[in-house]
Amino acid sequence: MDAVNIAELTGNIAVVGYGLAAIGPGIGVGLVVSKTIESIARQPELAGRLQVTMWLGIAFTEALALIGLATPFIFG
Amino acid sequence: MAISSAQDLFKKAIVYGTFLAVAIAAVGSLVSVLTVGISGVYAALVGAAISTSFSLMTIGSVWFGSRLGLNGFYALVLGGWLIKVVLFGVVLAILQGAQNFNGPVFFFAIVAGVLGGLGIDSWLVLKARIPTVDN
Repeated sequence: MDAVNIAELTGNIAVVGYGLAAIGPGIGVGLVVSKTIESIARQPELAGRLQVTMWLGIAFTEALALIGLATPFIFG
Repeated sequence: MAISSAQDLFKKAIVYGTFLAVAIAAVGSLVSVLTVGISGVYAALVGAAISTSFSLMTIGSVWFGSRLGLNGFYALVLGGWLIKVVLFGVVLAILQGAQNFNGPVFFFAIVAGVLGGLGIDSWLVLKARIPTVDN
């Protein structure tokens, strides 16, 4: 197998940024939703309240994704 | 009007989120015209529209998902998230090659929309008096 010279790789580094901006919030949103479902399964009568709390958790997590995805416009 | 149910809360969040988008578009356009010109106006308008539609889609997915039971709720919220990120990626890829489009103004419009939306959401949740046991 031929060795790959990293210095010869071409492409846009912003693509790596897109990937990183999607991974973290993706894991975060998954955790928020899974914990909410677990809580609703334990106490279904709290569903309304838990969903409101979950919405706030998702809003904060996905703020990171939006800002991260838009950064190539200012750093690129 | 006091917020006494999750439905009221989501309705108010959508209304205030729309007001925020209009405010960011107006202020962003004005500042852009005075500083960088017409390319900044396009960027401010697109940035306000994208950041607001992103948070409104989240509210919509939680609101409609809550009527579907656990499986539907899970599918709608996480599926909605997936669609949003893919759509946003496609829109950004198109915008990066666009002529007459000011990148920094776009970025700041997105950040203003996201942070403003978070402020509104947090304020509404703190203000709400939702009963522990749902009707």
